[in-house]
Amino acid sequence: MIHEFIMHVICPFLGTMGYAVLFNVPKRFYLSCGFTGMAGWLVYHAIVSQTFSAALASFLGTMAVVFLSRVLSVRKKCPITIFLVSGILPLVPGAGIYYTVYYLVTNQLAQASRRGMESVKVAFAIVLGIVFVLAVPGTVFQSLAVRQRRTRKG
Amino acid sequence: MKIQQIRRDKDEYIDMLLMADPQRDIIEGYLDRSEMFALINGGDVCAVCVIELLKNRKCELKNIVTRKEDRGKGYGKYMLSHICEHYGNQCDTMYAGTGNSRRALEFLGSCGFVNSHMVANYYPENYREPIYEEGVRLTDKIYLKKQLDSEVSVKKVVDLALEAGRILLKNGAEIFRVDETIIRICKRFHVEYVDTFILSHAIFISAENGMEEAYTKVKQVPLSSSHLGIVAEVNELSREISEGLVSIEEASDRLKKIDSFPEKRGYFQVLAAGISSGCYGYILGASALESTVAFFIGCILYVWVLTAKKMKLSKMIVNIVGGVLITALAIAAYHLPLPAEVALSGMIIGSIMPLVPGLAFVNAIRDIADSDFLSGTVRMIDALLVFVYIAVGVGVTLSAYNNMGGGLML
Repeated sequence: MIHEFIMHVICPFLGTMGYAVLFNVPKRFYLSCGFTGMAGWLVYHAIVSQTFSAALASFLGTMAVVFLSRVLSVRKKCPITIFLVSGILPLVPGAGIYYTVYYLVTNQLAQASRRGMESVKVAFAIVLGIVFVLAVPGTVFQSLAVRQRRTRKG
Repeated sequence: MKIQQIRRDKDEYIDMLLMADPQRDIIEGYLDRSEMFALINGGDVCAVCVIELLKNRKCELKNIVTRKEDRGKGYGKYMLSHICEHYGNQCDTMYAGTGNSRRALEFLGSCGFVNSHMVANYYPENYREPIYEEGVRLTDKIYLKKQLDSEVSVKKVVDLALEAGRILLKNGAEIFRVDETIIRICKRFHVEYVDTFILSHAIFISAENGMEEAYTKVKQVPLSSSHLGIVAEVNELSREISEGLVSIEEASDRLKKIDSFPEKRGYFQVLAAGISSGCYGYILGASALESTVAFFIGCILYVWVLTAKKMKLSKMIVNIVGGVLITALAIAAYHLPLPAEVALSGMIIGSIMPLVPGLAFVNAIRDIADSDFLSGTVRMIDALLVFVYIAVGVGVTLSAYNNMGGGLML
């Protein structure tokens, strides 16, 4: 249980924060960045562990990340890129790329192409996830952010 | 001390305005169609003034008043000179009407106003109560005028907007944000006709203010490392500019300051890269020991990235050598007498993470989604190439190791 918690909550959180630092994100956004990355990973993991494909999980995970990023960027009045870049990272198919290269080098071409195609699929899923949520008109997020602030005050 | 435009709840200041103009309905009559400014010193509103824009590049000072306890400190004069500057580029002449009161005429005279014309019998016709000033009943309204010279030229505005755009683009903002910021700044300083053409590495801008003053400029912006903190700051500044809180000189000073923002300290970045590597390794299935190794590899990798940045090496070298470095270190760790068996994959996957071009990838997608295909493609190729470079670095090292006879475990 503790292991699970560390693995799926603390690690994505810290990892995303670390990545945000590399892009010189201002200090006041560190927590929000970490939170975005964590949410994206949790969604991804929950779906992947239900035996759905990695592409579908990446798509939904990305949607969660973009959604959160948009709400946060309206609330904190800053460019959405800050949250988006660091939040997306846990979903980027870094492992897929490694295995593709690994199988290529060890001459297991069938495996290599399988892994490579999977990475490409995941990349496209991420693209679609971003584009879909970005297409939602901005007013929706404005009203959402305002409502949140009000309930907080009340 | 700062001067701020009041946009909402102008009637909150009506008590102050009544000191200069005693009839409430007359104030309310012009308040809605006028612009109002307040001089704020230490959180208190010390002086307010109201300006109405007229036709043909003229405006009228309707009301200016300083708090009783702050009179004689020069606030009014300071405010009026600031306001004249503010309206300098949209108006040629400012008028001010007043009764025949020595105090008011002296004040306006000292601010550079000269006699213009007179409206006879204005006060008895328009005000219900007779007004007495220094014991004399006011009758005629005397108008004074001042020539405003436009101090802000198209060139100055465009240079400011272009500088803001350059800083944004250089530090990894999306194309539409650069475009929006440039147009917002130009519009704010009354350069009405602006055309921009923005690529991922260049800005073209052409502007005109409707008075035959036109200006075009091109700026090349080489692709370089990104700093999202600067993007956030410039975004904040452009918001303040379009709200009218920042003058053009102040804005260019602040831009200079923002542009020289330092990066995060080296050791902090190295540590962050390490943490990022370790954590991602762990969530992608590495064991605790492998993640710890990935942490150290990530740190060493980033030391290389930072040195390469200082030496201005090309992206290709940075990423290929980075990939080689990661793999070599992981192989070294594999041969070290560590307390438990470690697999190469876990260590390498984690340590690749700090190299992944997240920003270029996300920006490329966003540009394409905004139909900025040209810049989107360039950025997408940039991102994909970085992936390829990393893969080449990792692949070359793995195959070299494989051929050296150590390949048994691969």
